[in-house]
Amino acid sequence: MFQQTKSWLGLTPFTLFVAIFLLWPTLSVFRSALQPVEGSSKPAMLEAISGQYLSAILYSVRLSAITAGLGAVIGTLVAISAVSLNQLKGLRNALVGYSAVAANLGGIPLAFAFVASLGMQGLYTKLLSVIGVNLTDLGFKISDFSGIVIVYLYFQIPLMTLVMLPAVDGLKATLKEAAASVGATPRQYWRSIGIPLLSPSLLGGFLLLFANAFSAYATAFALSAGSSKLVSVQIRFYLQGNTITGKSNLGYALAAWMIVVMVLAMSGYLGLRRRSERWRR
Amino acid sequence: MSKHMKVTKRVQIALGFATAGILLGACGSTTASTESTDAAVVSDCPTSDIVDAAKTEGQVNLITLPDTWANYKGILQSYRDKYGIANPVANPDGSSADELTAVETLAGQPDMPDAVDVSPAFAQEFATKGHWEPYQPCLWDEIPTTLKDPNGNWVAAYYGLMAIGANTTVVKEVPTSFAELKDPKYKGLVAINGDPRESGAAFAAVMAASVANGGSFDDILPGIQYFADLKKSGNLSASDVTAASVISGETPLVLDWTYNYPGLAPTLADNGITFQVKVPTDGVYGGFYAQGVVKNSPHQNAAKLWISHLISDEGALGYIVGGAIPARFDALVAAGKVTPEMMANLPDPALLKNIAFPSADQVAKAKEVLAAQWGPMVAGK
Amino acid sequence: MIRRNLWSKIVLIVVAAFYVLPMIAMARFSFQRVPVIKLGWSTLGKNWTIESLVNAVTSDRFRQAAWLSVRLALLSVVLGLLVLIPTTVYVHVMKRGARSYVEFLSMLPYVVPPIALVVGISGAMKVVGTWFLASPFSLVPFYVVISLPFTFRSLDVSLGAIDLKTLVEASRSLGASWSRTIRSVILPNMKVGIINASFLCFATVLGEFTIASLLLKFTLPAYLAESQGNNPQGTFSVGLLLLVVSSLIFGLMNRLSKRKGQAFSGLTL
Repeated sequence: MFQQTKSWLGLTPFTLFVAIFLLWPTLSVFRSALQPVEGSSKPAMLEAISGQYLSAILYSVRLSAITAGLGAVIGTLVAISAVSLNQLKGLRNALVGYSAVAANLGGIPLAFAFVASLGMQGLYTKLLSVIGVNLTDLGFKISDFSGIVIVYLYFQIPLMTLVMLPAVDGLKATLKEAAASVGATPRQYWRSIGIPLLSPSLLGGFLLLFANAFSAYATAFALSAGSSKLVSVQIRFYLQGNTITGKSNLGYALAAWMIVVMVLAMSGYLGLRRRSERWRR
Repeated sequence: MSKHMKVTKRVQIALGFATAGILLGACGSTTASTESTDAAVVSDCPTSDIVDAAKTEGQVNLITLPDTWANYKGILQSYRDKYGIANPVANPDGSSADELTAVETLAGQPDMPDAVDVSPAFAQEFATKGHWEPYQPCLWDEIPTTLKDPNGNWVAAYYGLMAIGANTTVVKEVPTSFAELKDPKYKGLVAINGDPRESGAAFAAVMAASVANGGSFDDILPGIQYFADLKKSGNLSASDVTAASVISGETPLVLDWTYNYPGLAPTLADNGITFQVKVPTDGVYGGFYAQGVVKNSPHQNAAKLWISHLISDEGALGYIVGGAIPARFDALVAAGKVTPEMMANLPDPALLKNIAFPSADQVAKAKEVLAAQWGPMVAGK
Repeated sequence: MIRRNLWSKIVLIVVAAFYVLPMIAMARFSFQRVPVIKLGWSTLGKNWTIESLVNAVTSDRFRQAAWLSVRLALLSVVLGLLVLIPTTVYVHVMKRGARSYVEFLSMLPYVVPPIALVVGISGAMKVVGTWFLASPFSLVPFYVVISLPFTFRSLDVSLGAIDLKTLVEASRSLGASWSRTIRSVILPNMKVGIINASFLCFATVLGEFTIASLLLKFTLPAYLAESQGNNPQGTFSVGLLLLVVSSLIFGLMNRLSKRKGQAFSGLTL
């Protein structure tokens, strides 16, 4: 009993820190969200789940899930490739160095880099048109869903790489050799040993990427300002804009729903992880 | 001059008068009135009491005043040159809501903003929340009634018109009306400055479009429909409008305030880009921003001096250089202080004669409709 | 084996191209004063200049902002590691059940919008004393909070790759003191995680804009936002410069940290 209390005690600094700088603001978000918006009688949270707001939330979830999935797969492949080429000097350092920076790239610089590459007046748009491929005719716009996905991958892939590198490192070479000596093909190795061993980190990384994309707004806004369908951008209209006043409760309500989505995602993740960890033992 | 350095006449004049404006500012010209003073109204311009008190304070905390917005760079400079008081600007690219947040979060701190420049909607919010320190700068009487608060809370030192900014290096034929913007040859080229639910300039573009399409200040729906049509036909570009997007040519046709264009002129010239500004013939819409002193801020007198400066001749001429129409424009013209060359920097005076601004109620109602309809009708499609 | 290497190389080359090409386009925009529409064989070499970059980098505003951002980043890394290393070790060694609790809290910063953090804090601080928000270093705890997702994840993954509990028990049963165990068993195994966590935190702070702008602190991203309007080409070239310099620094630090030994994969006793 004492052992139990003692171990929870060790988490006190963290808990205290998080309580002041994270939980208190979160609670105040919910407090405002449960109050009605000016001029209406129902709590803001109910209003925030209807009509255009609901489609905004779903749109954000869709974008986040897709970029997280693609980012997770490609990022893991990059990590595996880097580890298998471990002997190449400097590769690892270059990869880690650039990934750390790229994972945090976003907003206006990143959006503009892609606009400068593939926008209507983009460098590569022009180069492609010279060889006969006209992106505008093909219907590609960097501000469309597919364009935004591509730009998001720019920071999703390096983030996953950084998360997976330690995990892939941990896949002991001995296991691989052992599997090979028993006659297992590489595919069998990955299916029965590699992926299950990596799965907690894979799931955790996916969740991280999902959350990363879900909360991002600057990049999408810079790409498609007047057509912003993301809920994270919509929150700005009510909390940080120039036109709409007095609807901050609606903004907080949208934020509250975002938190709820994340809680649901986390629960799903924890459930899946519990199942995969059973294997590890 | 090489082909790349070709500049339009307007831009040349703007550059020329940037210098002239500063020179005129340095000469200084304040009119002293001999009327008696009372508690709220300051009559001589500005009183030496305020100037001395401001100099003792030594600084005025300003917020969200971009250099390229209505030539604030020049106006900030002329204030420093005239009074020697520092005027640092925090968060220049922020929004009016950010200004409100700053005032509330930093209340009682030494870096609390002393004076703000906010959209009319937020001027109302500030009043409701009691953040204004009422102050009527000298020459208050020369400001038209539509451009000042009846309770003395704020002034609208400048206003502008919604205009089409055309990058003529990319777009050869310049559209001159909202109707022309619908032409298929402008596919993917038309952009508004942000999302109207957040950006004052974009909101104004929708109101202007409304006026051009059978709507009015009371009815913003035709404007929303106009942009819905523009998006459906593919003419509306979703890219955010920034200095970079204008220069790169990604957004060659921009709907923005007249006073947002002159600031870009030097960089456009450097890149060999020609530019033209046209007020749409079918939808003339003016908009102002409100400036005032913040209650209980650390440097009250320096803030009052700043507001006086904005209204004064130096401030007014500075705004003209930036392409904005100063509040005391009529008085300045009557006193012969605005030369014909300077007039070339501004929209046609004939348009200014009949300028009307929507009332606070009309803006409030329009915002409601916009918040409810822009998403489903335009953004969501 | 060889085929594995070939695939690995292909993956890395494709991804490297994806990373580099947009930056090249941005560099061309920043350093060449010719709009794309006028770009052709004749104009390809014209009007290249680093003047915008020089103007931006030599300005006082840039130096002021950069110095503040670097200091904030260093402090955030230190505070973050101080808070998280003991916590992560605890949940891996002592109380596995608490891991979900810590993990959930570490994800929360993602969905609480920065504006809510700031407004929430100002409410809390009014009770304690408003002096806190006046100092630029008030940003440090916020930055630790917003980098929680990455930092916790990095430390967590590095500990999850090994069976720390068994190692610690082995070490303790062999008679090593707690401090010896921490020094020789726990920390070395966390090395890769600590490095990754520090880099991510540092890079996050250098790139964070919203909280700093709401509290009116003049950090590097605030400077970039400010100069974007009147010197876009200079601003983007500074961004590129920061990208290159940061990558080099992080890469170098990664290399230096390896000199003490290879990446650990398990037993070190």
